[in-house]
Formats: sequence, structure tokens, C-alpha cells
Amino acid sequence: MATKFETFAALHTPGVPVVLYNIWDVGSAHAVVAAGAKALATGSHPVADANGWPDGQQVPIDFALENATRIVKAVELPVTIDFEGGYAVEPEEVGRNVARLAATGAVGCNFEDQVVGGHGLHPLELQVRRVGAIRSAVGEQFFVNARTDLFLKTQTYDDALIDQVVERGKSFADAGASGFFVPRLSDPRQIERVVREVPLPLNVIAFPGAPPKSEWANAGVARISHGPFPHRALMKTLEEMARAAIS
Amino acid sequence: MSKFEDFAKLHVTGDPLVLFNAWDAGSATAVAKSGARAIATGSASVSMANGFGDGQKVPLDFALTNAARVVDAVELPVTIDFEGGYAEDANGLSANGRRLAETGAIGCNFEDQVVGTDRIYEIGDQVARIAALRDGVGTDFFINARTDLFLKAKSDTHDSALADRAIERGKAYANAGANGYFIPGLADLSLVERITTAVDLPVNAMHLPTGPSRAEWASAGIARVSHGPFPFMAMQEWLTGQARAALA
Repeated sequence: MATKFETFAALHTPGVPVVLYNIWDVGSAHAVVAAGAKALATGSHPVADANGWPDGQQVPIDFALENATRIVKAVELPVTIDFEGGYAVEPEEVGRNVARLAATGAVGCNFEDQVVGGHGLHPLELQVRRVGAIRSAVGEQFFVNARTDLFLKTQTYDDALIDQVVERGKSFADAGASGFFVPRLSDPRQIERVVREVPLPLNVIAFPGAPPKSEWANAGVARISHGPFPHRALMKTLEEMARAAIS
Repeated sequence: MSKFEDFAKLHVTGDPLVLFNAWDAGSATAVAKSGARAIATGSASVSMANGFGDGQKVPLDFALTNAARVVDAVELPVTIDFEGGYAEDANGLSANGRRLAETGAIGCNFEDQVVGTDRIYEIGDQVARIAALRDGVGTDFFINARTDLFLKAKSDTHDSALADRAIERGKAYANAGANGYFIPGLADLSLVERITTAVDLPVNAMHLPTGPSRAEWASAGIARVSHGPFPFMAMQEWLTGQARAALA
């Protein structure tokens, strides 16, 4: 029988993307399971918002890990955790932290290249060592979804930016990443190029007003996640329901 | 005026305070934005949101740190559903009450069922428990003493004899220092009115999706209407619908 890791990895099919409707706690996990999801993914921003912390590793690591454990125990599906920048800069410490995450039973994580709480991105050479340290710490099966924040740090989404995205994607693949995540990448032509040149399943994030999923699927996307938007929409609905109840 | 005083004043017989129950800092923030006057948690919601069973299965430390996060997230007064106070004896209740007050919450619900059983504490025992809790939380803290008489009996057995037992408890809880009286599970408005008339405390009803309206509760003398687990359950259903559409 396939392990949860294998089940999860096999869901990443270019052209037939797995859709991850991001969750933040056990309750939201149950609600998304009831919708027929094949896997679950947390979003760090909703976990922060739900519990009163700002995003950017302000959720204490112990809380993040305990929350991950509660979710994993509550559902049968594979669970991947948004682990931001691994709560450290130095590769060895990142590896130790992700090993703690793997011990929760999560099958994978997102791992960012931005300097959390600082400016810009980690130099590619350092980020490659960080990804490599995670791989060494967690073994072969854990799904390391290496994320580049290049799009989040600029407003100019041109070919030169895609050159950098491709360079990072290839390097992350060589370092042992399982997937490549490029939030805010949206243009199908640019997606096609990244899919062609980076030998990893590509993850993009759906946002209000994004192109239809079929367009992204046709461009070769393997995974579509929803980031903070499910939690934001839910909180808006709660606010409206509360207003109706109170008035 | 303190948050406790603000909160106590919101309990107006015939013009009830509506509490749309929250379960974490995010839901509290959303409810605060809606124009709420105060925030109340629901223990079942906290439990379901975090994968514990109800009935004090949420570990006390988690319940308290969650309470502190909710308090920190909003300016409004916050009251916590504290179930049975996580203790049976006086010392334990005082200690737990002190910890709850230290979170910045200005009130709590406090049940008379023996959590984990079908039993309800004898009146004398529950009176002593309320006094012990008061000892821990201090004077400026709204103890919403809850009777589980109606939750433990099927609704078609809710009659004037049961209402009279609730009245006896409400009067005793008032004498023991409770600030409010909570009668969840009762939806028969004539029995509600019988209780609100006889008990000298603001009375809290739990809204039910198919139950009386706010105006009907108001006319029966209710001072506070809370929503228990229903906001959380409605959000779960809504989220499933959204997810289903996204996955399709």
C-alpha cells in the first residue's frame, strides 16, 4: 500500500493539478475534508490571523507544531504545513526545525526563500544549502515545496524575472526539493516556461480574480493552493452573520 | 468605567445583549467588526476548532492561552465559556478562576453539571462551587451561572415543575454571588418568563436556529442571548461549500 508521502506526491500531476483549499486548524481541516479534498495544506497567514499573531513567523514555533499535530491526528488525508522560512536562517537549524515538523506526521511543507522579518531573498547559494539541510534532516520522502518569493518582492513581472525564477527552481531541484512554489505567478505563458525549464511540479496560488483553473492546468500547473483567501472569506462571512444576529 | 462594569450594564432585561459566540482570536475579531458590544467564547466551538472533545477535553492550559489571545485581539469585554471550572473542589476552582481572571477576561459561564457524567451537582454543592470560583476571580468578574437542568431533560419534558427547580437553583446561585443565570436548552417562552420573573439575576437564553427570535426572548424577560456552537457550525458548513466549489 502506498504511504501517505507517496499518495501526496502522486497527486502532483502537471496538467491535472491537485487543489489545496488552505486550512488553519482542526475545524477547518474537517470542513475541507467534508468537501472531498484529496489532501490538506495549512496557510501560515491564516494560522496567524486565527490566533491573533501577525504573519512572518510570529506564530511561535511550538504553537505551529502543536497545531500541525492536532490537524494530522484529526484527519486521514496527507497534510502539508506552511512552515514559512523554517524558523531559522542557518541551514542546520532549519533542518532541525523541519525534522520536528516531520515528526508531527505532516507529509510535507512549504519553505520560503525570503528573509523573514528582513529584506529581500536569501542569496541563492544559501537557500540551496537550506533546502539541502532540510532534505538531509527529513529523508527522501518528505515533500519539500520550495517557494520563491521573487514575485512578492517586485511589481515587474517580466522575462528577466522569469529568468531568475527558473534559475532558482533548477537550483532548488538540484538541492533536493520535491516541488516548486511561485506565489503570484499567474500568466499562462510564463507558467509554461517555468514548467518546461524547472524539473519540479509547479504550485501556484489561486486568488480572487485569477484565471480559471483550466487555463493554469493547460499551462502545466501541478498544484493550486489558496493561501490566505479561504480564511479571509470565512471571516467576512462570520462578520456578516454576526451583524445580522446582533441587529 | 471598567470593562467588567461595561459588560454588566449590557445585561438589560427585555432588551437583551446578543453574543455571537467566537472560538479564537480571528473569529473574535470578525465578530467585533460586526458591531458587537462584547465577545463570548463557546467551549464546544473551541473544542471542535482544535480537535478536542467537548466536556473539558480542551486542556486547561490551552483554554487559558486561547482566552488570553482572544482578550488581546479585541478591545471589547470578553467572557469565556469555562464549563465546570476544570475542578470539583473549592481549592481547584479558586485556583482556576484566578488563572482565568489573569487572562483579562471579565466573565465566564460556569455549569452545574458534573462534567463527564449525566449528573447535576446538588444545589448546596454548586452554591459552594460558585463561592469558591468567586474567591478566585475577584469581585469585578461576571459569573454567569448555568444550570444544565434543561439540557439534561428532553424538551418535551420541560414543564413548570422543572422550571420551578430551575428557579430554586437560580435564587440559590444569586445568593452565592452569581451575576447572571444561564438556562440553555429551554425554548418554552412561558417557562422562560416564569424563571425571569422569579430569579433576581439577568437571565441568559441560548439561541437555537429554529427557536424564538430576539424579540420573543426579550418579551419573556431575557437579558442576554448567546449563540453557543451555532456560529461555528454555520461557518464549518459554509467553508465546506466554498471548498467544494474550489475543488470542482
